[in-house]
Amino acid sequence: MKQRILIFLLAVLMMVVTACGGGTSAGETNSGGSNSGSQVGEENGGQEQVELRVMWWGDQKRADRTNQVLELFQKKYPHIKILGEFAPATGYFDKLNTQLASGTAADIFFLGGNVVDYANKGVLLELDPYVGNELDLSDMDKSMIQYGTLGGKLLHISAGANARGIVLNQKLFEQAGIPVPQDGWNWEDYARISKEIADKLGNGVYGTYNFTVDGMDIGLKQNGKQLYNIAEGKPGFEEADALRWFKQWEEMTTSGGVVTPELAVSNPPSDPSKSLIVTGKVAMSLIPSNQLAAHQSLTEDPLTMVQLPRGPKGTGVVFESSQGLSGYAKTQHPKEVAMLINFFINDPEAAKVLGNDRGVPVTSKNRAVLEGEASEVDQIVYDYTSRVSKATITEPFAVSYNPPGFAEFSKLAETSVQEIGFGRKTVEQAVTDFYSGTLKIFESNQ
Amino acid sequence: MGTSRRSLAREQNQTAYLFLLPWLIGFFFLTAGPMLGSLYLSLTKYNLLSPPTWIGLDNYVQILTNDSTFSGSLLLTFKYVFISVPLRLAFALLVAVVLNKGIRALGIYRTIYYIPSLLGGSVAIAIVWRQIFDSTGAVNKVLSWLGIQGPSWISHPDYIVYTIITLSIWQFGSAMVIFLAGLKQIPADLYEAAQVDGARKWNQFFSITLPMLSPVIFFNLIMSIIHSFQAFTPAFVIGDGRGGPLDATMFYTLYLYLKGFSFFDMGYASALAWIMLLIIGGFTAIVFVTSKYWVFYGDNKEGR
Repeated sequence: MKQRILIFLLAVLMMVVTACGGGTSAGETNSGGSNSGSQVGEENGGQEQVELRVMWWGDQKRADRTNQVLELFQKKYPHIKILGEFAPATGYFDKLNTQLASGTAADIFFLGGNVVDYANKGVLLELDPYVGNELDLSDMDKSMIQYGTLGGKLLHISAGANARGIVLNQKLFEQAGIPVPQDGWNWEDYARISKEIADKLGNGVYGTYNFTVDGMDIGLKQNGKQLYNIAEGKPGFEEADALRWFKQWEEMTTSGGVVTPELAVSNPPSDPSKSLIVTGKVAMSLIPSNQLAAHQSLTEDPLTMVQLPRGPKGTGVVFESSQGLSGYAKTQHPKEVAMLINFFINDPEAAKVLGNDRGVPVTSKNRAVLEGEASEVDQIVYDYTSRVSKATITEPFAVSYNPPGFAEFSKLAETSVQEIGFGRKTVEQAVTDFYSGTLKIFESNQ
Repeated sequence: MGTSRRSLAREQNQTAYLFLLPWLIGFFFLTAGPMLGSLYLSLTKYNLLSPPTWIGLDNYVQILTNDSTFSGSLLLTFKYVFISVPLRLAFALLVAVVLNKGIRALGIYRTIYYIPSLLGGSVAIAIVWRQIFDSTGAVNKVLSWLGIQGPSWISHPDYIVYTIITLSIWQFGSAMVIFLAGLKQIPADLYEAAQVDGARKWNQFFSITLPMLSPVIFFNLIMSIIHSFQAFTPAFVIGDGRGGPLDATMFYTLYLYLKGFSFFDMGYASALAWIMLLIIGGFTAIVFVTSKYWVFYGDNKEGR
């Protein structure tokens, strides 16, 4: 009897095992499929089948566009298979860091202003050997190539340029009977208009978001300082400079017209779908120009962009890289990585699909392609960015890199602003703590 | 005779170890190995991407002497544990006592009340919680019918932790099911005897139910404390994922996560993890040591 049970159990075990085997053989069939794909590839150009992974952040719309471009690339180069991955902006860098730590990062990934952090840690592929061959930079803006060259190595190719500016909800200005501000205004105007709009419209409408954190580097540049002195690898500002900027915002907040901290927490300006600009509750905020289309697509109210209020040295805004592509230093296929990056920035078909979602194209040919079929929102953006470009001819500013340890730094800055906003600390106390925290972060991320 | 008994025992032990093997493999490779790894990392500076460099106890010194976020997150986590654990257990016990009154279709109720325990840790529920407690959410709608203007529960640093605590209390199901099983074990003759003696329901609860249930309470208490110290998802999702607003959702585990995976400081995060282990271990030990004064095992061994 016992033996029978044993035999029965063994039989069951065998069935389980064979079932697993069946699964594996199914997997083999799949890989066989890609083998035949490689044969096609060989017929096309005698090259071996290559698989690349690409990772980016953003919403579904951006994902659709990017995937479409990746398909175009695969049609052109059938021997390269591309796997796209994307994550929302909030979790993207945690995911990337984890993958980098375990050595499983994508062959190509997007980075923003925090490219310095990754360049310092040596995880980015050096692209210099491919320039002129797979990677054609002859038509790319010199300043953008410069931006991606860190420590003498080309590590990052900008995928689009933008200029930050003030977005205006024109409907609110109309309702309040206030003329729409023009370039050349200053911070006193800004504070006054914010207050006027809040006073006249009332009913939970505010003049402006508090962008102490997002605009900090601009505020510093307007006073001849900068957030990060990349040449010397140290902060480009003193505590007093930070205090001036924080105080300016604190004064604006007390006089009225600035979104309350609670409201900013539940409706963060960084998320267009929750932004109070879109819901017609806030008249002005700071955005990068490539985000205007995303905002406009969510509201009927006409939006437009104007340059930042001027400080002693000007607006402090330059036309700069919004984000770009970097290769993974450990990639098996660096040549193909360079090919894909090249396709992203130079191919006119790709440019048509991508539009201005990541910023204005970085090559003049593709800019011409897009300008030919610009929508109304695009026109506003082009008009704005060309005004910025013109302004920087007479008032040049250095391009800003985010300081090392940027994730921790921005968390610290945000907390400091909230400490003031929720009345936990005086401005002076908060800024003192902010500055000593900043020095600590710089030190531990050298 | 003696030797054969010993060899029999050994044979039985071997069989036992054989059956334990899957767990042992898992323990040594998936738990103990990484734990030792993190002990090593906690003594290094490790930014995830370059090889770790040995710095001795610097991380621990830094944490204990010069890190206000650490002390803030520790206080917040203590607050969460000390409010949510008693409330959750009390609530679970209350519902279990009510369900034990012999209502019909007990199985259905038990299942329904258990569901939140299964769902509670998920991201989806945390998002739902966000919606319910938002300034224009369901809670404030109900309050507005009563003429009260509620604050935005999830965006003010003073209130958001209570939103997370309610979510934790809502997951009373697993403790309740265990309580219910415990209640069923209490012999009915004790209650009958009490009734004959004229004891009121209230007295019966304190003199019979609670003492007889104390081993179950003990078990639930330990599990809840360990579980609550490790709370992560609700803080991550209901807050902004960065501990905000104003570090009001900076739970210990979230701080550890941010240090390790966002701020490139895995050595520091490992040190934080070991401190957390010591704290949880300490609390569990306290509960165990004090248990002999309040846990009553019905086998007469306690009457010392």
